[in-house]
Amino acid sequence: MSLALKPAVVLERSTPMSGAVELVVHHPPAAAALRPGQFFQLAVAAPQTILRRPYSAAWADPDSGRIGFIFNVVGAGSGWLAVRHEGHELDLLGPLGRGFDLDGSKPAIIVAGGLGVAVFPGVVGALVARGRQVTVLLGARTSAQLLPSGRFPGAEVMTATDDGTAGYQGSVVDLMPVALGRFPPPQGEGRGGGPEIFACGPTPMMQALLEKSRRLGVPLGLIQVSLETPMGCGVGTCLGCAIARPGDGYLLTCLDGPCVRADRIDWSRTADAFHG
Amino acid sequence: MAEQPDLSVHLGRGLRLRSPVMVASGTFGYGFDAPLVDRTALGAIVTKGTTPRAREGNAPTRIAETPSGMLNAIGLQNPGVDHVAGIYAPMWAAWDVPVIVNVAGDAVDDYVGVARRLDGVAGVAGLELNISCPNIANGLQFGIDPRPAAQLTTAVRAVTRLPLLVKLTPNVTDIVAVGRAVEDAGADAVSAINTYVGMAIDVRRRRPVLSRGSGGLSGPAIKPLALHAVWQLSAALSIPVVGIGGILKRARLNEINVLRAFLLTARGAGAFPQLLLAHRLLLPGEDLVEVEFRLLARRRRQTARGAGGQGVLRRSRRAIAVTS
Repeated sequence: MSLALKPAVVLERSTPMSGAVELVVHHPPAAAALRPGQFFQLAVAAPQTILRRPYSAAWADPDSGRIGFIFNVVGAGSGWLAVRHEGHELDLLGPLGRGFDLDGSKPAIIVAGGLGVAVFPGVVGALVARGRQVTVLLGARTSAQLLPSGRFPGAEVMTATDDGTAGYQGSVVDLMPVALGRFPPPQGEGRGGGPEIFACGPTPMMQALLEKSRRLGVPLGLIQVSLETPMGCGVGTCLGCAIARPGDGYLLTCLDGPCVRADRIDWSRTADAFHG
Repeated sequence: MAEQPDLSVHLGRGLRLRSPVMVASGTFGYGFDAPLVDRTALGAIVTKGTTPRAREGNAPTRIAETPSGMLNAIGLQNPGVDHVAGIYAPMWAAWDVPVIVNVAGDAVDDYVGVARRLDGVAGVAGLELNISCPNIANGLQFGIDPRPAAQLTTAVRAVTRLPLLVKLTPNVTDIVAVGRAVEDAGADAVSAINTYVGMAIDVRRRRPVLSRGSGGLSGPAIKPLALHAVWQLSAALSIPVVGIGGILKRARLNEINVLRAFLLTARGAGAFPQLLLAHRLLLPGEDLVEVEFRLLARRRRQTARGAGGQGVLRRSRRAIAVTS
């Protein structure tokens, strides 16, 4: 494990989409070590907070030593982060956890709902760089909350909004049959045929995605998800970020995730493991 | 370079710690997973609570941050004593920091079984009896009443030669009564305190945040309460008191690992300047060990020199006032 020991420096702060903030920080060792889908524990100095905040990196560039984080303001910690700006130091621990397994050769379908898109710019870049065909399905409440499709060079982007202000009107999950229809169907549980799916989004979207996938015959083992659970230490000592696995017992989001294949989770015992 | 000062403290039965700073049970796993913490700077590692058989722990949600604190209801997830004795202990035996195993259970036989299994196992330097876990059924049954606390301590004492700490719960009317009872029953030291029972509500979902409803509160929110318990116990008992609770500074560590790091407030705990040095060794430039705990340690030492109870009271009131 490579861990950042020196603070990162904030280079840029911007608003990539309505309601969200993107911080670009400079930390060459962490940028070089990051695998797409991994996360950092960011220290925040908001009053009365004591825990670090886990954030997946949106992307990293090893050449320039830059790492991007995209988040929205939901509480004291993200509120504090949202007012960092150029020149501020940021205390980060990581990269931590397991990123996505990108080593397959199948076409890839990204399903991103709401702020779940925050983990995918780097993932899509890495998939495209591996020569994989990538389709990004982006969903949001309204067009202003969509990350611009220009953030996914080399990928085809399809959008859905709840209010119909951009793309399909409805859930991003409804775009799945269209995206899947372009490829030969999956061959049962053996992971043969069909595209591979990478997903992150709010809990209702993820549950709809899993249900839709079952109906479309997509094996859960072909779906990788990025989990988001309450987290304490981020390194496996506190056991706070448990998530149910099939049978008995639990995985830890921080060590076994945050990116896992969907067949490693007992969804019937998992009420809330994603962006709220 | 100056000669390294002697920071050592004694916990009883020959257990000598090279520094008075340890990591509290539950903050450090079994010592294997915490990067960035220099094990060799610690006086000892206290493990996650260990039971006779493996436990899967509680359903999520297990933790919740609260103002200046954190609730947890992990539920004693652990691999069981056979795994600890067979797999972990041999690795600890090669470390140059003592490992104290926190022991938990549902019944006297559970504690006795774990203690017996670990007696004489290389790599295990001591036991800490967790009679104060609020997060399992009956977890507090031994800790809230002096009589069962003493009976459990006596039973465990009979099957182990290891140094025996008993970790007390603050969820009681009179922590000193429980402390006296376990001292009389053969405890070598007490750890004070475990977490306070608390809860948090998810207003949006209209339900408790934690799956069990309640959990144990730790962190700076409880530090004044912890200090008071340590103050009471160290005035009343003649065995060492290990102070725990809310010792936390923003360090370049993962905060939770030091969330309940603690300082021995033991008789003979060493001179005050040495204690100051202890935290510098751990985290250069960072104030890990809170001033108040250090001052309690100094007071305890003065007590050991023969100061009376009232004298202790007056001195420590003055000492704490200096820092506030």
